[in-house]
Amino acid sequence: MISVIDSIGLSVIKTVIMVRDFVVLTLRTLVYTFTPPFRVSDIFKQLYFVINESAPIVIFCVCSAAAVTIIESSFHMKIIIQNDALVPGFAALLILRELGAVVSALLVTSRVGAGIAAEVGTMQITEQIDALKMLGINPIRFLVVPRLIASVIGGVVLSILANLVCLYVAMLVSQYKLGHSAGSFIVAMRAFVSMQDLYFAAIKGACFGFVIPLVSCYFGFRCKAGAEGVGLATTNSVVTISISIITIDFILSWIFSYFY
Amino acid sequence: MRSETKVGLMFIVTIAMVITFSYYLGVLNLFSQKNELTIAYNFAGGIEVGSPVRVMGIKVGKVKEIKFDPQFKMPNGEEVKLKVVISVNEKAWTSLRQDSKFYINLAGVIGEKYLEVSPGSLSSGELEPNSILRGVDPPRIDQLISQGYGLAGKILEMVENNEGSVVETLNTVNLLVVNLNSLLKQTNALAKHKEAREILKNITTLTSDLAYFTGNLRDKEGKKTLKLLNKLIWRLEALDGPQIKKFLQEEGIKAKLF
Repeated sequence: MISVIDSIGLSVIKTVIMVRDFVVLTLRTLVYTFTPPFRVSDIFKQLYFVINESAPIVIFCVCSAAAVTIIESSFHMKIIIQNDALVPGFAALLILRELGAVVSALLVTSRVGAGIAAEVGTMQITEQIDALKMLGINPIRFLVVPRLIASVIGGVVLSILANLVCLYVAMLVSQYKLGHSAGSFIVAMRAFVSMQDLYFAAIKGACFGFVIPLVSCYFGFRCKAGAEGVGLATTNSVVTISISIITIDFILSWIFSYFY
Repeated sequence: MRSETKVGLMFIVTIAMVITFSYYLGVLNLFSQKNELTIAYNFAGGIEVGSPVRVMGIKVGKVKEIKFDPQFKMPNGEEVKLKVVISVNEKAWTSLRQDSKFYINLAGVIGEKYLEVSPGSLSSGELEPNSILRGVDPPRIDQLISQGYGLAGKILEMVENNEGSVVETLNTVNLLVVNLNSLLKQTNALAKHKEAREILKNITTLTSDLAYFTGNLRDKEGKKTLKLLNKLIWRLEALDGPQIKKFLQEEGIKAKLF
């Protein structure tokens, strides 16, 4: 009985410590983000890693998802009202409000988040982070801040890029598969979509981009020795980020609903 | 190529795509000049900022702003509390005249609201940009429903108050319909009868003869005869009872008149 209570207490304490450490890491990162010196070359390096290297995968996957969305929507609408004239409109809205931002964030998580966790974790177990500290270099300023800035900007850019390419693909699919013209797609889209949707998608992208490097670096810093430790840190970071993205998406959608 | 350049290119592509998207969405329009007008309404029927403005069914602009102005009065003193600012494309501007009408309509399956402008007559002058005009308030469906509801209530009340007479009227109508049905059946049976058919045939002949006769009356000779007859009657009208008696007595005819 006592051992059970012990284990519950231990879990609670561990969780509280984890949350505290994460909050401290977040606050310190935010402070260092807005105080000089700024490591511009590192930021560009990370931007290239986050945006340019992720863009092909993100765009390909999101476009496939968009094509599936529009075909399925048309299929369902034809079942219900035997007419799919409005499908381009609400498929475009669905893509902009949800699909583009969330799917691209999850793909960035699997690539960038896992990469950061593995990289920082390896540095942790090979004592490179300790070496940085000995050299008087703050590991948060050196490792986390450039990744955070790059990831936030990258989140915005990838979200916008994925959404717009996605809309273009949706238009092509509606033209060649569903028989709507490009003009009717744009007219239906204009009836539902506004610039606000794109702004909200960009805000979502920024929020998701904020979470990815922080969680990855947190698990990287806590990485235990050995290949198993790095693997565990990577897995934990990807799982945590994915759950966070879904939760943040729900919260943001709730908040944005007050602006419509 | 340096990574900075590649990142920069990606940014440029993204910005270009955002600009293209906003152009297609109608938010950004760099290539056309637009004039603004303010249309005053008391009821705007759910029109929104961004709703299209059409002239003769063609989109020429959009609703830019909706302002509440409780103090506003039209030059004729009418209080109008809502101002809808619209932008109209330069190309369509000359079609808008002083007597143009501004309607709020509903289009498409999704019920998109738009502002339709009737072009107006050429004899009326062109509109000045930024002028304030009175729009045609759309019919209020909620008001109609409310009035219909009130009417239905009154009918129900009337029926409830006169339940006995309503039932009696319905019974009478029912009886009338039964009788009418029976009458129609009898007429139908009669029409099939041989003698009835002959009677009908004779009536037809009679009416055609009558038509021929009255037709003759309408020709030149007939008209002349009628005219003469008319004259004769007028002449005879002066004759009363004693004079006719006198005339007959003079002629040696003994008669008792009147």
